[in-house]
Amino acid sequence: MSMACYQCGCQLSEQDYCTACGADVSLYKKILRLSNRYYNEGLEKATVRDLTGAVDCLEQSLKLNSRNVEARNLLGLVYYEIGECTAAMSEWILSMNVEPKKNVASDYIERIQNNPSRYDNIRQTMKKFNQALEYCYQGSHDLAVIQLKKVLSISPRFVKAHLLLALLFIDNEDWEKARRELTKALNVDKGNTQALRYMQEVDRMLAPDDIEKNDRKKKRDDTIRYQSDNEVIIQPSSLAEGTRSGFSTVLNIVIGLVIGAAAMYFLVMPTAQKEAQHDAQERVDSIASQLDVKTAQIQEMESEIKSLEEAKAKLETELEEYVGNEGKLQVMDQLFAAASVYLDSKDTAQTAEMLEKISEKVKLEETSLDYQALYHSLLGIIGPELAKTYFDAGKVSFQNEDFGSAVENFQKAVYYDPGNAEALMDLGNAYRRGEDEMNARATYNKVIELFPDSEWSRKANQWLGGMDEEMTD
Amino acid sequence: MINFEEELKKFHPSAEVEEIQDYIYNRNATDIAGVFEKMFTKKEEETETEE
Repeated sequence: MSMACYQCGCQLSEQDYCTACGADVSLYKKILRLSNRYYNEGLEKATVRDLTGAVDCLEQSLKLNSRNVEARNLLGLVYYEIGECTAAMSEWILSMNVEPKKNVASDYIERIQNNPSRYDNIRQTMKKFNQALEYCYQGSHDLAVIQLKKVLSISPRFVKAHLLLALLFIDNEDWEKARRELTKALNVDKGNTQALRYMQEVDRMLAPDDIEKNDRKKKRDDTIRYQSDNEVIIQPSSLAEGTRSGFSTVLNIVIGLVIGAAAMYFLVMPTAQKEAQHDAQERVDSIASQLDVKTAQIQEMESEIKSLEEAKAKLETELEEYVGNEGKLQVMDQLFAAASVYLDSKDTAQTAEMLEKISEKVKLEETSLDYQALYHSLLGIIGPELAKTYFDAGKVSFQNEDFGSAVENFQKAVYYDPGNAEALMDLGNAYRRGEDEMNARATYNKVIELFPDSEWSRKANQWLGGMDEEMTD
Repeated sequence: MINFEEELKKFHPSAEVEEIQDYIYNRNATDIAGVFEKMFTKKEEETETEE
């Protein structure tokens, strides 16, 4: 292989310097020689189909001298052989860049570019292989196997696809299938260490004992045994095949259909089921969210109804307070009726009776100021006259020693005329004579408190003193 | 015993035909001969400057 000077580009001789420019090329020539040696080694390995070894050598060669066109072209060819077409094309393109004229790489590239179906196959192979690898990462091994089989139907010499398929079979403990793929890979690349390692594992799993057993079983299967009377007849299966060929064809078709249906069931159906489940889940989620909104609205409306019912009950209570039997309107009507009776007939007794009924039902301090004013005005008008009536009646009762009745009359006399000290004094006396000492004392004390400087006060004190003495005795 | 997960890590996606340009540009094209050339060319230039 010819060498050119790195400085002037002239052809180098056997000397350690350039005969044209005089540059020291001893080390440079060593590097180029080493690159060429790696190329030769790579070529030898490629010749005996140790393509992995060839790739290693050629890569080393190019690391030493990237302008080694022969090494690059051969590397491209080896890549192409093992199915790595993109890598192959890139090597040839780089080679063309170094040596644009009289380069076999241009021929290789043209062959691919001028064959659209081949070019499309390369494209499809790479895409499908990457898809299969993605399936492996996702754990969809069945889909990966299908995809890799498609890849290998397009590019049967794609070693990497054979290896990945073998790995999937090994993972599935499908040792025979794995061995088949590995054998195909090793037919292309005899020195593929990965394939050799997998094959070692497969061989270990398919131990010789098992192989022998399989062989024996196969031999047994090759004969047909049946009993006729007392004799066991052994007939080679090949003889029976002729008679059974029609039946076996039908059977094979049926088995094929069953396998097809099973593949459909196990591969396509789960995907369709997953999609259906996904759609159903989405619908359920959507309905659930709608349900949540509706539930929230219902709860809101229920709480609104509850608050409205409470408000209604409160208003009904208030209304009852106004219009009921003992409501405010009724009480007001009674007061108006009492006023009307007095204005019409001046009947103080009936008016007093009506006012007493009102005072029993109503707490005056809870009524309106106008109501209280009317009540007190009416009471002020009829009070003195009533007080006199009850006072006189009390006197009569007292004289008749009916002290209970006397107490009642004097109480009313005091109620209607609180300034009547005599009536209060007589109430105390009625209590005392009726032997109600506690109320008698309270009433005398009230006389002393309300009318301190009066004759009634002095008398009250006397009675209190007398009662104290009686107690002492 | 072959560990599937570990072995799977050794497989890498193949460069697709549409990505061939990126594939070429992203390659490390440095070689020893190139390094040697650069080194000696620089040395020659320095010698000439000194002279």
